[in-house]
Amino acid sequence: MVPTISAQLDAILNKFERNVPHVQATAVVSTDGLVIASRLPNDVEEDRIGAMGAAILSISSRSGDELDRGEMTRVLVEGKNGYILIRSIGEFAILVALVEKDVRLGMLFYECKKCIEELIEIL
Amino acid sequence: MADIKKVVLERDLNPYHSFFASFFAGLGELGMLNQGSINIVAKRAADYLYAYLDAKDILPDLDAVPGDTEAEVVKNLILYINKILSMVGEYDLQEAGDNTVVLLIAGNTCRICPKGVGGAEVKGTLCPIPSLLEALINKIAQKDMLELITAGIEKEGPTCKAYFKVIN
Repeated sequence: MVPTISAQLDAILNKFERNVPHVQATAVVSTDGLVIASRLPNDVEEDRIGAMGAAILSISSRSGDELDRGEMTRVLVEGKNGYILIRSIGEFAILVALVEKDVRLGMLFYECKKCIEELIEIL
Repeated sequence: MADIKKVVLERDLNPYHSFFASFFAGLGELGMLNQGSINIVAKRAADYLYAYLDAKDILPDLDAVPGDTEAEVVKNLILYINKILSMVGEYDLQEAGDNTVVLLIAGNTCRICPKGVGGAEVKGTLCPIPSLLEALINKIAQKDMLELITAGIEKEGPTCKAYFKVIN
């Protein structure tokens, strides 16, 4: 039996989290800000992550255009306790990852790129 | 820019419709607003609208709302809310089986659409109506009576559709 799209998305997110220690949570969100799939802790409000992730990416992308920074590749929000990484998945979806401060950023970006490629194949 | 005069006259807009729709449209075009964030803030707005209706002493008494079924009560509550907010001209609420109802809005009669009225040039939808109705009706009913099934609104030709589950 072919796994459902939800199951396939969950498997890819799970693999990404296993490959990169310190990735705490992930979500695939439509560019409308609506959650498609997620692996989030219970205390994180899924709807808010979706809406804010899509808004951050959208504003960043428009800022990049306005300020002639070229096509945006990713958004990394750095806080005292860790990072929020946001990347486009093709034209209609985005990946949001919550990451601990101790992560190796090179590893994070590399595995994130691989994860995005797999997600694009499904979406 | 869309033919504003045509939209204003055909949809019978008041100044607040124009302000609301164009303001949301601008935020949407800047990337600050999407359907997900609208769904969240619509719930907040419902809390304030409920408080407004309470302050004006015009909250409906749920027991007095006509309807033999929960779906009919919901239909009459939507009628009441739309009368106050004047959101849409032509709409219908139809039963869709399995305790679900579908709200059908004639898109060209909507008065608060950030795209159709406010001219937002964005992908996707920016519709506050389904999530606002869900939150305000549940607030008026003081229980979970209505659950939005669709993520927002679905466009099907000239009609905008939103599916809800009616909870008994």
